[in-house]
Amino acid sequence: MATRMFGMPVQRTEDERLITGKGGYLDDLGAGAYAAAFVRSPHAHARVRDIDVTGALDVEGLVAVYTHEDLSGPMAEPLPLLIPHPAILDGRTPYALAKEYVHYVGEPVVMVVARDRYVAEDAVGRIAVDYETLDPVVGIEAAARAERVVHAGMSDNVAAHLVQEVGDARAAIAAAPNRIELDLDIERSACTPMEGRGVYARWDGRDAMLRLYSSTQTASGVRAAVAAKLGLQLGQVEVVVPDVGGGFGVKIVHPWPEELMVPWAARALGHEVKWAEDRREHFTAAAHERAQRQHVTVGFDDEGRLLGLDVDILHDNGAYLPYGIIVPIVTSTQLLGPYKPGAYRVEFRSLYTTTAIVTPYRGAGRPQGVFAMERTMDAIAAHLGMDRADVRAANFIQPEEMPYDQGLLFQDGRPLIYDSGDYPASLEKIKKLVGWDDFTAYRDAARAEGRKVGIGLACYVEGTGPGPYEGGHVQVETSGKVRVATGLTTQGQGHQTALAQIVADELGVPMSDISVTTGDTRRMPYSVGTFASRGAVMSGSAVALAARRLKEKALRIAADALEADAEDLEIVDGRVQVRGTPSAGIELGTVAVLSNPLRYAFDEASKAATQFTGAADYTRPPVAADDEPGLEGTDFYSPLRSTFASGMHAVVVETDPETAEIRILRYCVVHDCGKLVNPLIVEGQVHGGVAQGVAGALYERMEYDSGGQLLNASFMDFLMPYASEVPKVEIDHLETPSPLNPLGIKGAGEAGVIPGAAVIAAAVEDAEGFAITRMPVSPSELFHLRRRFDKGGIAPLPGAYSRTGEANA
Amino acid sequence: MEFLSPATWEEALAAKSERPDAVPIMGGTDVMVEINFDRRRPPALIDLTRVPGLREWRADGDGVRLGAGVPYTGIVDALGGAAPALAAAARSVASPQIRNRGSVGGNLGGASPAGDAHPPLLATDAVVELASVGGVRRVPAREFYLGPRRTARRDDELIAAVLLPAPAGPQRFAKVGTRNAMVIAVVSFALALDARSRTVGTGIGSAGPTPLRAPGAEEFAAAEFDWEGGAPLPESAVHRFGELVAAAARPIDDVRGSAGYRRHALAVLARRALARAAADYREGGARCA
Amino acid sequence: MSEELHEIRLRVNGAEHTATVPARRLLSDCLRQDLGLTGTHVGCEHGVCGACTVRVDGRPTRSCLMFAVSAQGHEITTVEGLAEPDGTLHPVQRAFRECHGLQCGFCTPGFLTVVSAYLEDNPDPTEEEAREAVGGNLCRCTGYQNIVKAVLRAAEIRREEAAAAPGGERAAGAGERR
Repeated sequence: MATRMFGMPVQRTEDERLITGKGGYLDDLGAGAYAAAFVRSPHAHARVRDIDVTGALDVEGLVAVYTHEDLSGPMAEPLPLLIPHPAILDGRTPYALAKEYVHYVGEPVVMVVARDRYVAEDAVGRIAVDYETLDPVVGIEAAARAERVVHAGMSDNVAAHLVQEVGDARAAIAAAPNRIELDLDIERSACTPMEGRGVYARWDGRDAMLRLYSSTQTASGVRAAVAAKLGLQLGQVEVVVPDVGGGFGVKIVHPWPEELMVPWAARALGHEVKWAEDRREHFTAAAHERAQRQHVTVGFDDEGRLLGLDVDILHDNGAYLPYGIIVPIVTSTQLLGPYKPGAYRVEFRSLYTTTAIVTPYRGAGRPQGVFAMERTMDAIAAHLGMDRADVRAANFIQPEEMPYDQGLLFQDGRPLIYDSGDYPASLEKIKKLVGWDDFTAYRDAARAEGRKVGIGLACYVEGTGPGPYEGGHVQVETSGKVRVATGLTTQGQGHQTALAQIVADELGVPMSDISVTTGDTRRMPYSVGTFASRGAVMSGSAVALAARRLKEKALRIAADALEADAEDLEIVDGRVQVRGTPSAGIELGTVAVLSNPLRYAFDEASKAATQFTGAADYTRPPVAADDEPGLEGTDFYSPLRSTFASGMHAVVVETDPETAEIRILRYCVVHDCGKLVNPLIVEGQVHGGVAQGVAGALYERMEYDSGGQLLNASFMDFLMPYASEVPKVEIDHLETPSPLNPLGIKGAGEAGVIPGAAVIAAAVEDAEGFAITRMPVSPSELFHLRRRFDKGGIAPLPGAYSRTGEANA
Repeated sequence: MEFLSPATWEEALAAKSERPDAVPIMGGTDVMVEINFDRRRPPALIDLTRVPGLREWRADGDGVRLGAGVPYTGIVDALGGAAPALAAAARSVASPQIRNRGSVGGNLGGASPAGDAHPPLLATDAVVELASVGGVRRVPAREFYLGPRRTARRDDELIAAVLLPAPAGPQRFAKVGTRNAMVIAVVSFALALDARSRTVGTGIGSAGPTPLRAPGAEEFAAAEFDWEGGAPLPESAVHRFGELVAAAARPIDDVRGSAGYRRHALAVLARRALARAAADYREGGARCA
Repeated sequence: MSEELHEIRLRVNGAEHTATVPARRLLSDCLRQDLGLTGTHVGCEHGVCGACTVRVDGRPTRSCLMFAVSAQGHEITTVEGLAEPDGTLHPVQRAFRECHGLQCGFCTPGFLTVVSAYLEDNPDPTEEEAREAVGGNLCRCTGYQNIVKAVLRAAEIRREEAAAAPGGERAAGAGERR
């Protein structure tokens, strides 16, 4: 057996093209395409009275101007509500171009097509839209008060309302010896990939075929949506996803208005059309996430064990609900983390506001859920004067209790049953890594020098790899080269490398002979998409299963050719050979030749497969009834339910006693995503997630004014961290295999970001001595919190809570 | 958009005289951002990159005459001794790429209250050299900033250079930003002690409609400071200095921080700057920076 | 309504190019659209993200903050020009691959051009200096951990190669210009 690739820190095969400038991102394609630009609403809420395009008409290079009036049939109807759910009370979605009303700043109203983007923007600047402004609804409080409503025909702003309950939580809390309530608040942030959205369409009128390139996280989803909207058969639409400059969730939304308008215009004009989003558009007109208010009531015993947990969540879903209520569902279920909550009741209302839509951003509701649960754990520890790690340990689901049924329905509509995990072991590892038990001495020494330092801990469980399915197709060419395809897309996770590693092991071929295609409906039309940390679990499992099918066939054909028993054969380095007798063998490429009986030879190799060559068995047809020509395997992986990864983060921060600047001194991670396909890639995912977690805790927020204008729609004002803001990340792994899939893996893509806000809030709280209930926290905000604390407006933390490592004060 | 590309300073002045609405551009770090954001569509641009001399600096009496287009990198590399506060500010500018292109002239031209160069120019009593076809005029930085993005520069004038007096004592620059790199400061502060005139200069950035001085704080510190020995100032004096600086600020609440925080942070920066400058003064002997 | 066009000559990656562009054409757009050099990426158009960084006369410069017409007479190096003509990758490129210093790769060309210049002036940076060297470029994927490692590794590769090259160690010394 050759070296096993699975588990090795293999360098990525993607990188060669990306480091030499040969990547092909959306805007690198379509040099001859017309450029699209959009007139977008400058108002958060308005009625469109009139659109006057005459000013744009003499712009040289203008090709076309479209408004909603130009659309008909399905294109004139609202966009689909992608994930329907019975809890949705009134699901509103936008139009491809605004029809009468606009509900957020940035909503597309007019499409302009021109020779190039400069010209298109000139024309955009000369189009006059007359608006009757209406009352904006900004922020959760305003939305919940419902003095103003976002959507005509609604009496309030509640898009969805869902209650899930296991046991009688309220009764359990009432009967509990201890009881705490917390009000928590998390603000908006956004995925903010370095590459914005983009669409490029080619309509071939002769073949009546549409080729659509989109910077998306789902090729098959875009294909189906665009076909439905444009009135095309699925077979008339090909969607190809080029190199994608990051997604983090925002690109799973589809079809975007622009994603429909661009192919629609390409067909109407009989000319290629492209739209590449600029940064301001991405800030205002893509999607955001995170904003929630939570009210937690918890009852617990004197050892810190949860008896009842009651959580009420208000979730800001923005102007429309195209992606349904996945985010608040995830919050309300994943909130439970590694703990047994006793009785649990969770209720959420998802609210419309006149702001950009809210759809999953890496973590997808989990950071908020973990914030609620981990703030609660810290509050319990403070209340009881217990060590914060001990409170968590008291509530852990134990390894021997796996699989553990939380009794709820998860975001995939399947039971929330944890498949595996070892939380006590993770806790031991993180305590050791960060030096939890020694911290008190460190803090005391720091305080003696006039410094303020604090430590925090946060745990999470993440449901990854939800279904319904992904497919894999593996084919061996007669050259011996292996082509692998899976339908989901990739945006930096290194799927081309990881999937090749899996196939290399399954087939016994070198990595260098394997090429992997993702997100191309021509190669794998059946697919779902890349979200919820499902790439490696779903497509990894699918290509493994497909490779196993192929291998079985290869061994069968080779057994015939070698006159051996298939069970005695193995594939080593691309050659099928008899175990123990490597000289008796046949190249996989030759097996591919033999797999396809030929009438015509076109080279030396193919001669071997023609009808007058070699001995024939006249009792059998050349291709058996239950077989097919070619050496390929296709298979699909459809899991029973999600697999649950987990982890724990610990952070040490220092806050400046005067300027309130917050500095992270240590950031430690223990991470369990089952078997690691490629530790280099997994660590990279954790690093990136941690950076986004830190960003969401300390720097990034979407700041809307009361009129619904986004005040910080640029990288100048939206403080995405540079290298100077992201601490060094220390990682330790635990590998608890998943029993649910053939490789024992769990998703890793989102993990790093999930406990960020919770763990940093805990550490700042520990440094300051008063509760942190609202994230992100900037120096300016910390300064004001200190002032309120000094004036008695915030209660000091009770007990010995801020003295980690000691049982009592 | 017209694009004027003068090859000489005379051509540039003539172009500006003919097209007072033309916007001069060197490194592009301010002007281009506004154009790309569509905040501004100037009818014409004057590209000064080909004009010789703007990227040069030379000794000028005791001090330095710094061409308006000398990139921050050049200031960091060459003027650490001749203009320590400005060099420290240049060091804190954004990123390597912006330091390579951005210049003091650009900062002065845009006159954003957050420009990093302003506080040191104010604190050190630098002079702005303005030129037009009519001749050259020298305006002290302390009289240059008139209002929000409004300066003493006339529409037909170009900024030629700044004259930086030789330091006669320690200088300090510091800023608070929620991120280190590329940040527009939440607040910034520069301090210069002048042992010859026994005066103290201050400059405040990002805490008002224009870059500001704190004259009350300057007079207070000049009176309190031990110009002979540089003895540590009493805690109360340092504190008072911070208060006076903060009182001179006119900050607003915005995305980066509240007005209250800005005043507070400014007081902290001012206290730290004064205490450290006093220490520098003692260590370096009375005069040299 | 039409605008005045300028015939410009640009020297990019050692080759002469001509293009006809309006004055407002950004250097980044000119490289990408007029010269087909799409390795330079545009991430923000306001000079903050650094993805569009190219080297102008050796110095890292944001090409979205420079007009194409202003780039005449300057030597421009883009990511496509970092490797040797024979395809041998620049040490920085190799280091980024080795250290997994990129994920989606969109910001990568800006990092590569910045670091290639930085190491010529600072051949032996500390970790802290390496972090500062990339402090003006945004990356949303990596958390910068492996980018910092890659800067250090690139420095190491350069030193190893300088030591192995005929003529010895001087080649990697400070102040070297390509």
